[in-house]
Amino acid sequence: MSELKENLKAQIIEQLNLEDLTPSDIKNEAPLFGDEGLGLDSIDALEFIVLLDVNYGIKISDPSDAREIFHSIDSLASFIESQK
Amino acid sequence: MKLIAHSYLNRKAAFLNGVKVAHADSEQPNDFLKTYYRELTIDYPKFHKMDALSKSAFISDYLLEPFYADLVDLENKLQLVFANNDSSKQTDLKYIDSYEINNNPSPSLFVYTLPNILTGEISIKHKWYGENCFFILPAFDAQFFADQAMFSFLRGNDYCLCGWVEMNGSENEECFLFLLEKSADTFEIEQLTTLLKSYRNE
Repeated sequence: MSELKENLKAQIIEQLNLEDLTPSDIKNEAPLFGDEGLGLDSIDALEFIVLLDVNYGIKISDPSDAREIFHSIDSLASFIESQK
Repeated sequence: MKLIAHSYLNRKAAFLNGVKVAHADSEQPNDFLKTYYRELTIDYPKFHKMDALSKSAFISDYLLEPFYADLVDLENKLQLVFANNDSSKQTDLKYIDSYEINNNPSPSLFVYTLPNILTGEISIKHKWYGENCFFILPAFDAQFFADQAMFSFLRGNDYCLCGWVEMNGSENEECFLFLLEKSADTFEIEQLTTLLKSYRNE
Protein backbone atom coordinates (compact mmCIF):
# COMPACT_ATOMS: atom_id res chain seq x y z
CA MET A 1 0.00 0.00 0.00
CA SER A 2 2.84 2.41 0.83
CA GLU A 3 4.40 1.78 -2.60
CA LEU A 4 1.05 2.53 -4.20
CA LYS A 5 0.82 5.82 -2.27
CA GLU A 6 4.32 6.87 -3.35
CA ASN A 7 3.47 6.00 -6.96
CA LEU A 8 0.27 8.02 -6.71
CA LYS A 9 2.16 11.05 -5.44
CA ALA A 10 4.65 10.87 -8.31
CA GLN A 11 1.85 10.41 -10.83
CA ILE A 12 -0.13 13.35 -9.42
CA ILE A 13 2.93 15.62 -9.58
CA GLU A 14 3.52 14.64 -13.20
CA GLN A 15 -0.10 14.69 -14.32
CA LEU A 16 -0.91 18.02 -12.66
CA ASN A 17 2.40 19.66 -13.61
CA LEU A 18 3.24 20.39 -9.96
CA GLU A 19 6.89 20.87 -10.89
CA ASP A 20 7.78 22.60 -7.62
CA LEU A 21 6.71 19.69 -5.43
CA THR A 22 8.30 16.38 -4.51
CA PRO A 23 6.40 13.31 -3.26
CA SER A 24 7.51 14.10 0.30
CA ASP A 25 5.60 17.42 0.12
CA ILE A 26 2.32 15.51 -0.17
CA LYS A 27 1.03 14.06 3.10
CA ASN A 28 -0.96 10.84 2.90
CA GLU A 29 -3.82 12.10 5.03
CA ALA A 30 -3.89 15.78 3.93
CA PRO A 31 -6.81 17.03 1.82
CA LEU A 32 -5.91 17.30 -1.85
CA PHE A 33 -8.64 19.79 -2.75
CA GLY A 34 -9.66 23.19 -1.40
CA ASP A 35 -7.50 25.78 0.31
CA GLU A 36 -5.82 23.21 2.53
CA GLY A 37 -3.30 20.64 1.32
CA LEU A 38 -2.50 20.97 -2.37
CA GLY A 39 -5.26 23.48 -3.15
CA LEU A 40 -6.56 21.47 -6.10
CA ASP A 41 -9.85 22.27 -7.87
CA SER A 42 -12.44 20.80 -10.23
CA ILE A 43 -10.06 20.91 -13.22
CA ASP A 44 -7.68 18.71 -11.28
CA ALA A 45 -10.51 16.29 -10.54
CA LEU A 46 -10.68 15.72 -14.31
CA GLU A 47 -6.95 14.95 -14.26
CA PHE A 48 -7.53 12.43 -11.45
CA ILE A 49 -10.22 10.67 -13.46
CA VAL A 50 -7.81 10.39 -16.41
CA LEU A 51 -5.00 9.26 -14.09
CA LEU A 52 -7.09 6.45 -12.60
CA ASP A 53 -8.21 5.31 -16.05
CA VAL A 54 -4.78 5.42 -17.74
CA ASN A 55 -2.63 4.11 -14.89
CA TYR A 56 -4.99 1.73 -13.10
CA GLY A 57 -7.74 0.96 -15.62
CA ILE A 58 -10.35 2.25 -13.17
CA LYS A 59 -13.32 4.32 -14.28
CA ILE A 60 -15.35 6.40 -11.83
CA SER A 61 -18.87 5.28 -12.63
CA ASP A 62 -20.63 7.60 -10.19
CA PRO A 63 -19.18 11.17 -10.16
CA SER A 64 -20.79 11.79 -6.76
CA ASP A 65 -18.28 9.32 -5.29
CA ALA A 66 -15.35 11.42 -6.52
CA ARG A 67 -15.32 13.85 -3.59
CA GLU A 68 -14.74 11.04 -1.12
CA ILE A 69 -12.34 9.07 -3.32
CA PHE A 70 -10.18 12.09 -4.18
CA HIS A 71 -10.06 13.46 -0.64
CA SER A 72 -6.49 12.38 0.10
CA ILE A 73 -3.71 10.02 -0.96
CA ASP A 74 -5.00 7.60 1.70
CA SER A 75 -8.52 7.57 0.27
CA LEU A 76 -7.29 7.29 -3.33
CA ALA A 77 -5.05 4.34 -2.46
CA SER A 78 -7.84 2.60 -0.54
CA PHE A 79 -10.17 3.01 -3.49
CA ILE A 80 -7.64 1.61 -5.95
CA GLU A 81 -6.99 -1.36 -3.65
CA SER A 82 -10.74 -2.00 -3.37
CA GLN A 83 -11.05 -2.19 -7.16
CA LYS A 84 -8.45 -4.95 -7.54
CA MET B 1 -1.83 60.12 -11.60
CA LYS B 2 0.59 58.93 -8.92
CA LEU B 3 2.96 55.96 -8.69
CA ILE B 4 2.42 54.25 -5.33
CA ALA B 5 4.87 51.33 -5.57
CA HIS B 6 6.60 49.00 -8.00
CA SER B 7 8.12 45.52 -7.98
CA TYR B 8 10.30 43.62 -10.38
CA LEU B 9 11.72 40.15 -10.76
CA ASN B 10 13.85 38.28 -13.26
CA ARG B 11 15.96 35.10 -13.08
CA LYS B 12 18.52 36.78 -10.83
CA ALA B 13 16.60 38.70 -8.17
CA ALA B 14 13.32 40.22 -7.00
CA PHE B 15 12.91 43.86 -6.02
CA LEU B 16 10.42 46.09 -4.26
CA ASN B 17 10.70 49.82 -4.93
CA GLY B 18 14.26 49.35 -6.14
CA VAL B 19 15.39 47.34 -3.12
CA LYS B 20 16.45 43.71 -3.63
CA VAL B 21 14.27 41.44 -1.49
CA ALA B 22 15.17 37.99 -2.84
CA HIS B 23 17.96 36.39 -4.79
CA ALA B 24 17.82 33.44 -7.19
CA ASP B 25 20.40 33.60 -9.97
CA SER B 26 19.00 30.49 -11.63
CA GLU B 27 19.47 29.40 -15.22
CA GLN B 28 16.49 27.10 -15.04
CA PRO B 29 13.08 28.42 -16.03
CA ASN B 30 10.65 28.16 -13.13
CA ASP B 31 13.41 27.40 -10.57
CA PHE B 32 13.86 31.06 -9.74
CA LEU B 33 10.15 31.47 -9.11
CA LYS B 34 10.22 28.53 -6.72
CA THR B 35 13.23 30.08 -4.99
CA TYR B 36 11.39 33.39 -4.47
CA TYR B 37 8.31 31.57 -3.20
CA ARG B 38 10.41 29.85 -0.54
CA GLU B 39 12.69 32.79 0.23
CA LEU B 40 9.72 35.10 0.75
CA THR B 41 7.99 32.40 2.86
CA ILE B 42 4.80 32.60 0.82
CA ASP B 43 2.14 30.06 1.74
CA TYR B 44 -0.39 29.63 -1.06
CA PRO B 45 -0.79 25.99 -2.21
CA LYS B 46 -2.41 26.95 -5.51
CA PHE B 47 0.86 28.65 -6.49
CA HIS B 48 2.35 25.25 -7.37
CA LYS B 49 -0.33 24.65 -9.98
CA MET B 50 0.23 27.92 -11.81
CA ASP B 51 2.27 28.35 -14.96
CA ALA B 52 5.36 30.59 -14.93
CA LEU B 53 3.41 33.60 -16.17
CA SER B 54 0.94 33.44 -13.28
CA LYS B 55 3.63 32.55 -10.75
CA SER B 56 5.76 35.55 -11.64
CA ALA B 57 2.81 37.95 -11.48
CA PHE B 58 1.65 36.35 -8.23
CA ILE B 59 5.04 36.86 -6.55
CA SER B 60 5.39 40.42 -7.84
CA ASP B 61 1.91 41.20 -6.57
CA TYR B 62 2.78 39.59 -3.22
CA LEU B 63 5.65 42.07 -2.86
CA LEU B 64 3.25 44.98 -3.35
CA GLU B 65 0.76 43.75 -0.74
CA PRO B 66 1.94 46.04 2.10
CA PHE B 67 0.87 48.98 -0.04
CA TYR B 68 -2.67 47.71 -0.52
CA ALA B 69 -3.60 47.98 3.16
CA ASP B 70 -4.17 51.76 3.21
CA LEU B 71 -6.03 51.98 -0.10
CA VAL B 72 -9.81 52.42 -0.11
CA ASP B 73 -12.30 50.05 -1.80
CA LEU B 74 -9.62 48.23 -3.76
CA GLU B 75 -11.98 45.32 -4.36
CA ASN B 76 -14.17 47.49 -6.58
CA LYS B 77 -12.00 50.45 -7.58
CA LEU B 78 -8.88 48.78 -8.87
CA GLN B 79 -8.32 47.72 -12.47
CA LEU B 80 -5.64 45.28 -13.58
CA VAL B 81 -3.83 46.22 -16.80
CA PHE B 82 -1.25 43.68 -17.93
CA ALA B 83 0.68 43.05 -21.12
CA ASN B 84 3.50 41.10 -22.71
CA ASN B 85 4.73 40.13 -26.14
CA ASP B 86 4.66 36.32 -26.12
CA SER B 87 1.25 35.80 -24.56
CA SER B 88 1.06 32.33 -22.92
CA LYS B 89 3.30 30.74 -25.57
CA GLN B 90 5.32 28.57 -23.18
CA THR B 91 2.22 26.96 -21.71
CA ASP B 92 0.59 26.71 -25.14
CA LEU B 93 3.56 24.66 -26.35
CA LYS B 94 3.45 22.43 -23.25
CA TYR B 95 -0.25 21.87 -23.83
CA ILE B 96 0.39 20.92 -27.47
CA ASP B 97 3.03 18.44 -26.27
CA SER B 98 0.52 16.96 -23.83
CA TYR B 99 -1.71 15.77 -26.65
CA GLU B 100 0.75 15.38 -29.54
CA ILE B 101 3.52 13.59 -27.65
CA ASN B 102 1.82 12.23 -24.53
CA ASN B 103 -1.53 11.61 -26.24
CA ASN B 104 -3.24 13.05 -23.19
CA PRO B 105 -4.54 16.64 -23.45
CA SER B 106 -3.99 18.09 -20.00
CA PRO B 107 -6.88 20.10 -18.47
CA SER B 108 -4.52 21.60 -15.87
CA LEU B 109 -2.28 22.96 -18.64
CA PHE B 110 -5.20 24.01 -20.81
CA VAL B 111 -6.54 26.42 -18.18
CA TYR B 112 -3.31 28.45 -18.42
CA THR B 113 -3.33 28.74 -22.23
CA LEU B 114 -4.50 32.34 -21.97
CA PRO B 115 -2.26 35.06 -20.50
CA ASN B 116 -5.09 36.85 -18.73
CA ILE B 117 -5.47 33.88 -16.37
CA LEU B 118 -2.84 35.59 -14.23
CA THR B 119 -5.16 38.54 -13.64
CA GLY B 120 -7.74 36.03 -12.45
CA GLU B 121 -5.25 34.42 -10.06
CA ILE B 122 -4.45 37.80 -8.51
CA SER B 123 -8.10 38.86 -8.34
CA ILE B 124 -9.13 35.56 -6.73
CA LYS B 125 -6.42 35.86 -4.11
CA HIS B 126 -7.43 39.38 -3.05
CA LYS B 127 -11.15 39.01 -3.79
CA TRP B 128 -10.96 41.95 -6.18
CA TYR B 129 -14.01 42.36 -8.39
CA GLY B 130 -12.87 45.20 -10.68
CA GLU B 131 -12.03 45.19 -14.37
CA ASN B 132 -9.01 43.47 -15.85
CA CYS B 133 -7.40 43.25 -19.25
CA PHE B 134 -4.33 41.78 -20.89
CA PHE B 135 -2.71 43.21 -24.02
CA ILE B 136 -0.16 41.80 -26.43
CA LEU B 137 2.39 44.50 -27.29
CA PRO B 138 5.65 44.52 -29.28
CA ALA B 139 7.53 45.75 -26.19
CA PHE B 140 7.01 47.54 -22.89
CA ASP B 141 5.31 50.84 -23.63
CA ALA B 142 5.01 53.27 -20.71
CA GLN B 143 2.71 55.59 -22.65
CA PHE B 144 0.35 52.72 -23.42
CA PHE B 145 0.05 51.78 -19.76
CA ALA B 146 -0.41 55.41 -18.72
CA ASP B 147 -3.15 55.84 -21.33
CA GLN B 148 -4.93 52.70 -20.13
CA ALA B 149 -4.69 53.88 -16.52
CA MET B 150 -6.08 57.29 -17.49
CA PHE B 151 -9.03 55.66 -19.31
CA SER B 152 -9.59 53.50 -16.26
CA PHE B 153 -9.66 56.52 -13.92
CA LEU B 154 -12.05 58.34 -16.26
CA ARG B 155 -14.38 55.33 -15.98
CA GLY B 156 -14.43 55.71 -12.21
CA ASN B 157 -11.63 53.50 -10.98
CA ASP B 158 -9.21 54.88 -8.40
CA TYR B 159 -6.28 52.49 -8.81
CA CYS B 160 -4.56 50.60 -11.58
CA LEU B 161 -2.24 47.66 -11.02
CA CYS B 162 -0.18 47.46 -14.19
CA GLY B 163 2.19 44.71 -15.22
CA TRP B 164 4.62 43.77 -17.96
CA VAL B 165 5.05 40.01 -17.57
CA GLU B 166 7.25 38.14 -20.02
CA MET B 167 7.88 34.49 -19.22
CA ASN B 168 8.91 33.06 -22.57
CA GLY B 169 11.73 30.68 -21.66
CA SER B 170 14.42 33.16 -22.64
CA GLU B 171 17.03 34.59 -20.29
CA ASN B 172 15.23 37.93 -20.52
CA GLU B 173 12.21 36.73 -18.59
CA GLU B 174 10.92 39.45 -16.29
CA CYS B 175 7.91 40.74 -14.42
CA PHE B 176 7.47 44.45 -13.70
CA LEU B 177 4.43 45.56 -11.69
CA PHE B 178 3.50 49.12 -10.76
CA LEU B 179 0.57 50.44 -8.81
CA LEU B 180 -0.93 53.73 -9.98
CA GLU B 181 -3.43 55.90 -8.14
CA LYS B 182 -5.84 58.48 -9.50
CA SER B 183 -4.44 61.87 -8.53
CA ALA B 184 -4.15 65.44 -9.75
CA ASP B 185 -0.36 65.14 -9.41
CA THR B 186 1.66 65.47 -12.58
CA PHE B 187 3.07 62.10 -13.53
CA GLU B 188 6.24 61.69 -15.56
CA ILE B 189 5.32 58.71 -17.73
CA GLU B 190 8.90 58.11 -18.79
CA GLN B 191 9.66 57.43 -15.13
CA LEU B 192 8.27 53.93 -15.76
CA THR B 193 10.67 53.30 -18.65
CA THR B 194 13.58 54.57 -16.56
CA LEU B 195 12.58 52.30 -13.69
CA LEU B 196 12.37 49.23 -15.90
CA LYS B 197 15.73 50.00 -17.49
CA SER B 198 17.37 50.39 -14.11
CA TYR B 199 15.88 47.08 -12.92
CA ARG B 200 17.15 45.33 -16.06
CA ASN B 201 20.65 46.65 -15.43
CA GLU B 202 20.76 45.66 -11.75
